[in-house]
Amino acid sequence: MTPSYNFAFLDEDTKRMLRRALLKAVAIPGYQVPFGSREMPLPYGWGTGGIQVTAALLGPDDVLKVIDQGADDTTNAVNIRRFFARVAGVATTERTVEASLIQTRHRIPETPLREDQILVFQVPEPEPLRTLEPREAETRTLHALGDYGLMHVKLYEDIAQYGHIATSYDYPVLVDGRFLTSPSPIPKFDNPKLDRSPALMLFGAGREKRLYAIPPYTRVESLAFDDHPFEIQQWEHRCELCGSGESYLDEVVVDDRGGRMFVCSDTDYCGRRRTEAQA
Amino acid sequence: MLAAFADPVFDSQRTFRELLQAMARPAAPRPLPVLPPAPAPVAPAAMAILLTLCDATTSVWLQQPSDEAVRHLRFHAGLRLADEPQAADFALISEPAAMPPLQRFGAGDLRYPDRSASLIVQVDGFRSGAEADRLRFAGPGLREPVALAIDGLPADFWQQRAALSARLPLGIDLFFVAAQQVLALPRTTRLLET
Repeated sequence: MTPSYNFAFLDEDTKRMLRRALLKAVAIPGYQVPFGSREMPLPYGWGTGGIQVTAALLGPDDVLKVIDQGADDTTNAVNIRRFFARVAGVATTERTVEASLIQTRHRIPETPLREDQILVFQVPEPEPLRTLEPREAETRTLHALGDYGLMHVKLYEDIAQYGHIATSYDYPVLVDGRFLTSPSPIPKFDNPKLDRSPALMLFGAGREKRLYAIPPYTRVESLAFDDHPFEIQQWEHRCELCGSGESYLDEVVVDDRGGRMFVCSDTDYCGRRRTEAQA
Repeated sequence: MLAAFADPVFDSQRTFRELLQAMARPAAPRPLPVLPPAPAPVAPAAMAILLTLCDATTSVWLQQPSDEAVRHLRFHAGLRLADEPQAADFALISEPAAMPPLQRFGAGDLRYPDRSASLIVQVDGFRSGAEADRLRFAGPGLREPVALAIDGLPADFWQQRAALSARLPLGIDLFFVAAQQVLALPRTTRLLET
């Protein structure tokens, strides 16, 4: 731990501001709470929102896991894990079951989460309506009125044009029947894990200066139509490393002759299954 | 003058984590990890919450602003005191039987429902279990409805809160403290009819 920083990098005033915002976020599920996002030692877009939320939560007893697209060993995950090991001296892990706090970019771990775990999402664009309505004043009004017709029209246009809803990630959800919410760019494969999750889920968007929450055991509904129900991705392949037919698969190009393989995106899940298979 | 948290960074972090879990899993009493010294009429558990969440950017309304409590909070937290309940981000209710109606606190703006008051209410105690006098609550954070009684609230408290819940997502978020325990009722927690 580097002693010249306050614990977990942020000063205490900033942490208090974040903590007040987090409590309001939990009290109003799916509502985006504005907060005073600070400049962090890495640029906006690299998970500064998630990092600030994690810094406000972190204590010396926590065990931190950081994943990027499911993997513990990619640049963003390694950097953020090292950052907190350095400025907070906390224990880190790559194992989902050992972690008390998991910061994630764009995936939810395959291993089911527990009540004593908190999941922190890095969010690039917290406003699900932003691509449909650029004005913040207007989207705030739409949320105030619970008027989400725009999003239904967008999904309907997908069906009219492609025959199915073509949104495959950042698939909009309705939280507790009230607020339309971005689940962050997780694949829609992960959307069912948001519904009535035992773990508290917190979302931080640093550049957009918003944070929001989905409390445990809260109804989270992926938008759909009666005749076009919500469906998740399916593969004709199994993971070529661990053989799982239930996890989210990445397609990896392995040579320059068009060779490719499908492997689990969750490296901890895949690794553990391979270890168990050997034993 | 009394001291505040012995270890401000870690004591407030541990307290916050309990408050966050209390808010995320409503209607369940949780022990607070640190109880700082507190001048009357502020209870130590309420003081722990105020020291964890309040500073110069928050305004706090005290139901019973004793000189000693005001001096203590100004010195340790630097907080601003609100003259009216309506203007307060946080309010400390030290005598619930005589508290102002919930409608007098800020419930937020439809575009910004987070700009609403959080109340810290010092009550006599909590009783969970299935006995007849318990109220039943449901909502986000609760896997199944829970039964609970909170002692020491005004007789029409639950009617006042039910009137507010018609205005969701506007509302007031409540922390109840008794002895070492805290229990939260966010605006989304519904009181089930018996």
